[in-house]
Amino acid sequence: MKERKTSNKLSLIFLAFQNLMRRTFRTSALLIAIAIVSGAVFSTSTLMWGVNDSLKKGLSKFGADLLVVPKGSMISMKSALLSGEPSVFYMERDILRTIASLKGVKKISPQLFLTSIDGECCVIGNAFIIGFDPTSDFTVLPWIEEKIEGPFQISDAIIGGLNTQNVGDTIVFYGQTLRVYGKLGRTGVGLYDNAIFIDIEHAYSMAEKSYTIPNVAPLKLVRGHISAVLIQLEVGAKLPYISFTISKDPNVKVITAGNIITSVRQNLVALFSSTIVLSIVLIIANALMISAIFSTIINERRRELGLLRAIGARKSSIFRLILYEAALLTSIGGLSGVIVGIIIMRVYQRTIIFNLKALNMPYIWPSVTDIVMLALGAIAVSVLVGVAGTFYPALRGSKMHPYDAIRAGE
Amino acid sequence: MDSMLVIKDIWKIYDIGGEKLEALRSVNLEIEKGSFISIVGHSGSGKTTLLSVIGGLTEPTRGNVSIEGTDVWSLNDAGLSALRNEKIGFIFQFASLIPTLRVVDNVALPVIFHKDNHGDVYGRAEKILSALGLSKKLNSFPSELSGGQQRRVAIARAFINKPAIILADEPTGDLDAQSESEVMDFFSEINEKEQTTFLLVTHNMDLAGMTDRIYHMRDGALLD
Repeated sequence: MKERKTSNKLSLIFLAFQNLMRRTFRTSALLIAIAIVSGAVFSTSTLMWGVNDSLKKGLSKFGADLLVVPKGSMISMKSALLSGEPSVFYMERDILRTIASLKGVKKISPQLFLTSIDGECCVIGNAFIIGFDPTSDFTVLPWIEEKIEGPFQISDAIIGGLNTQNVGDTIVFYGQTLRVYGKLGRTGVGLYDNAIFIDIEHAYSMAEKSYTIPNVAPLKLVRGHISAVLIQLEVGAKLPYISFTISKDPNVKVITAGNIITSVRQNLVALFSSTIVLSIVLIIANALMISAIFSTIINERRRELGLLRAIGARKSSIFRLILYEAALLTSIGGLSGVIVGIIIMRVYQRTIIFNLKALNMPYIWPSVTDIVMLALGAIAVSVLVGVAGTFYPALRGSKMHPYDAIRAGE
Repeated sequence: MDSMLVIKDIWKIYDIGGEKLEALRSVNLEIEKGSFISIVGHSGSGKTTLLSVIGGLTEPTRGNVSIEGTDVWSLNDAGLSALRNEKIGFIFQFASLIPTLRVVDNVALPVIFHKDNHGDVYGRAEKILSALGLSKKLNSFPSELSGGQQRRVAIARAFINKPAIILADEPTGDLDAQSESEVMDFFSEINEKEQTTFLLVTHNMDLAGMTDRIYHMRDGALLD
């Protein structure tokens, strides 16, 4: 004979668990259905969170409140910023003086965008080279994660976190050898992760020397041209007013961090709209399915529920028993869905990031804390679906007349 | 002696498709504490309905039921549930066990609804089961038991909270003659030792003959 357990393990939760084990096929089928919903909710929210979070973190490192670019280049700029896609556009440097004179502007720094040509001698192909001014810069130098001792030299380069080179390596562009002075931390924002930052003066001279390299298309750039102006405002400065004032110049366009986030969010919602709709449909379908199945379960167990009432269960105990059963089922199903979701996202992480980047969406995996929160959220959604779906059948079950319930099937 | 059960002018009338069916007709009964009585009658005479009205399972159309001075049908759900749990032990016509629980858990089950009776529940359950000849079946599941054994488990469950009154509906229906005799001996022993009141309803005159007093029911009315 088996060893008898003497502890008082009997409780409504124990009873609910035993009830779930009664019909293993039905319970398993329900668990799978709930896991699908939970997995869909978790995966969608994790991906959306990752894009949103990496964008926020990246743009916070960006440090600029406003970005001024030549008119007609806003889309290219967003693409450059978000995916690191090499983009080339120029405007006159004179705009710097105008912007610097505006009240509320704290710092300004110009940047110059270049792209190298693939496959020619002495050139690393298709790199996004950005000339920056080390004397006024406030968006590159502060975010160096590792660097060589000593000050930044004119022949140095700072590389984004996704570049394969290491600090101390040398890289060659148009015959110019550059020392990798520092490497930025990964941000999820394409421009900072992929670009190679060099001194703007070096960029001008590189462009001039590119005309002397045989069989290589020169960098068509005029000294004095710049691609963008990064602006940091004083605390309390009125961003809309300054943006409006700069926009009066018909040759430029002003981009705010908010513009970029909104633009990415719109893309994000468009991309995930089908998944979001599918998740909502699955949630509703699951709630209805759970409701229907629990109605059946309660009908099957009418006599048992009547018996429980006869031996002292209150209406509220019956109600809780049924809800516990649903909550146990949906929390286990929800957890399973989250685990499967994590596995699938890990297995296909390269494909996911590649596809998101192709849509100009930066992505870094959420932190462990964020993933735990998202997982708990997905499980909570599953449990809420279960409880909502079971609420009416449970209420009906609890209100059953004990005598009628006991005599059910006679 | 103190009254355990007082029933005054109980009527139970069902409305079936506009037609009135009188299941109980002006039933009056008073039972002293520690009584061991039976109600006999043919099927459909109203025995089971009367038992469920006394036990707080079916509300009468009119009339009063009082157990140890408590007006049963004036209680709210919590009070009625507590009364059923603490004062009444039900034995139904069918075995009525929870199939996913072991025998000992089935017997201990009423305790989870009891406010302060979580002492040595399993020890008590084991003792009752042993008295009913089921000491070797404590960890078995209902599906592993015969019909008679299941019935004895259901009987054991009725005693776990030391009720003041046992309401038994055909309690020995599935039992062979020897088991029936053992169960009735067990009832008598509890009746004598604990002064537990027993109210049995049956159509088995031999069983009724083992009780101290027999009432008869016919067409919803209780006859002496």
